[in-house]
Amino acid sequence: MGLGLVKWSRIKSPWILHFNSGACNACDIEVLAVLTPRFDVERFGMLLKGSPRHADIIVITGSVTRQIRDRLVRIYEQTPEPKFVLAVGNCAGTGGVFQQCYNVYEGVDKVIPVDVYVPGCPPRPEAIIHGVVKLLQKLQEAS
Amino acid sequence: MTGLEEAVEKLKSGIGAENVLEVKHQPPRNVFVLIKPEKLKEAITYVMKELGYQYIITISGVDLIKENQFEVIYHLSDYSNTISLKIRIPRDEPKVPTITDIIPGATLYEREVHDMFGIVAEGHPNLAKLLLSDGWPEDLHPLRKDVTIQQIRERLEEERRKGVRGI
Amino acid sequence: MSGESEKAVFEVPVGPQHPALKEPILLLFKIEGDIIDDVMARPAYTHRGIEKATEARNYIQNIYLCERVCGICSGIHTLVYTQGVERLAGVEPPPRAKYIRVIFLELERIHSHALWLGVAAHELGFDTLFYYVWRDRELVMDLLELVTGNRVNYAMSTVGGARRDISDEAAHQIKKGMEIFRRRLDVYTGVVEKDPTVRKRVVDVGKLSPHKAVELCAVGPTLRATGVKRDVRADDPYQAYDEIPFNVATYPTGDVLAQIMVRVMEMYEAANIIDYALDHMPKGPIRTKVPWNIAPNEVISRGEAPRGELFYYFKSNGTEKPERVKIRTPTLANLPAVCEMLKGYHIAEIPIVFASIDPCLSCTGRFAFIDERHDRSWVWTGEQLRAYRRRYYKWQNR
Repeated sequence: MGLGLVKWSRIKSPWILHFNSGACNACDIEVLAVLTPRFDVERFGMLLKGSPRHADIIVITGSVTRQIRDRLVRIYEQTPEPKFVLAVGNCAGTGGVFQQCYNVYEGVDKVIPVDVYVPGCPPRPEAIIHGVVKLLQKLQEAS
Repeated sequence: MTGLEEAVEKLKSGIGAENVLEVKHQPPRNVFVLIKPEKLKEAITYVMKELGYQYIITISGVDLIKENQFEVIYHLSDYSNTISLKIRIPRDEPKVPTITDIIPGATLYEREVHDMFGIVAEGHPNLAKLLLSDGWPEDLHPLRKDVTIQQIRERLEEERRKGVRGI
Repeated sequence: MSGESEKAVFEVPVGPQHPALKEPILLLFKIEGDIIDDVMARPAYTHRGIEKATEARNYIQNIYLCERVCGICSGIHTLVYTQGVERLAGVEPPPRAKYIRVIFLELERIHSHALWLGVAAHELGFDTLFYYVWRDRELVMDLLELVTGNRVNYAMSTVGGARRDISDEAAHQIKKGMEIFRRRLDVYTGVVEKDPTVRKRVVDVGKLSPHKAVELCAVGPTLRATGVKRDVRADDPYQAYDEIPFNVATYPTGDVLAQIMVRVMEMYEAANIIDYALDHMPKGPIRTKVPWNIAPNEVISRGEAPRGELFYYFKSNGTEKPERVKIRTPTLANLPAVCEMLKGYHIAEIPIVFASIDPCLSCTGRFAFIDERHDRSWVWTGEQLRAYRRRYYKWQNR
């Protein structure tokens, strides 16, 4: 029963960590806009957290620069299981416009596993919410 | 004669007309002035002190690989007009004197040029890496024309395989 | 982390990109007790290698690359880039295009300053204001979407002019929106100027003298907040700014209050500029042709981004690709100034002072502290630092 409660609360109120892996800020301001009154993702019980140790979902924007790679891996390792990764934006998916730049890894999935991709440059806040809801469904099916 | 043309004439008389190699105007408020490298500090001091310019926008580097030279451009401004002082230095010995003693705000720009082209600002208090990652190889300067993006990527992958972290 | 931090102690960098809100940056503070002695920052985390990549792409492809140097000031990046390429090719954009550019640039300035005001309120611990400002910012985002078709990366300016026209219907909508936004701004001005809790946190904090600001080559609102009247729009007018009357907002005190007030006043000015530009927009085409290959030449291009002067240097070589594109973003210019502003203040004041130049203050960016007296060092996240700030002020106001 105890386990069921944990699962239930995770689906009803997942906490997210926003991590910028060298994005241009466009996705970041849209992720932030998702949290503010117009889009208000807290309807789904989501809460932005500052520490990876509190988070269930890591929202990653940006194309993963070489300097940040090891930090990204460390953040991922610090997040407690089960953890989920949402890659927001074309850069986080494939490197986007920064493909063939010397200092990027062209996508989060080159470094850590990704659960849901949200394409767009930047994706609209509605799209980000859609991605998060998709992730919640995945969470539900997995449990 | 506009204010900028007058300023260039003054600069010529200040550091000696024979040291000014080329003047190219970009109307309405910009000018490029190519000078001899050994007169750089004198010219910058003259522009800042005598002409009353207060502000360095940035320092640009250009790799003139055909002439085997680097071009270093100091964009000085009085907020309205911009004088871009250019010098050309040999590619084999990329050294310029630091100008941080004249303009303290130039610190970061000298470090950026050092990162990107390996041009050493002699006398700079701290030429540590500014933009490149921690594990970046010391002899690799990305904006030089003799390396392509593909070569840089291969080199970095190789370094990583060797166990270097932070790239 | 601490081992790496010590290695990074002597590094103070910023890139061809613009590290701003929520972006990763490493700041190193040398502290004595609770007082900041010295600051070092390392923003290499967002270095992507854009300048090298521009040399491998043609002039049209580079518009979209340069737009993504920074997502918040994407409009001014495309503008300064396209303006530079037009100068390289010796092409003059049509007058209507210049006005359209001014309109979306000023809308972008409002959106960027509103964003910053919200973030600053958040750093002050005043989340109510944060949510109010961000709600009203959506009004501007809607207008931007109406004019350009996208919320953030507009791709509005192109080489030779603008990509979309502003219809009379849209002009009417923008004017109505500005009217509403001005009324909301009045509320915020009142809050910032009069609210005692805000004043307590911002008056006489993070002071910068005009002399020091000029010496360290600060730009934009950071410089204007010390009372120095410098603005590229007025000093080196580009596009239609020489035909539009406006005031350069300054505030004399040089503290965080001044930074806030300058940006609030600039939002009013921007709204006025938009109204004037809509009324005086000439009729005609919005785009001219530009040659594909550009003859060898070199130019510079400057523009006033929301955070200060943005600078591009171009060199062409006769092909369809540039020989060299150099980008200098305003945050790089303001970094020495903010390091100076932080010196001598308390750890609790780091978030708001650092945020006051409108850079990035990332949640994941870490703050490493080195206590010189006790010879220990530790690392905090932004969230932990904000929690410390709350404890500190509670303790101070016992």
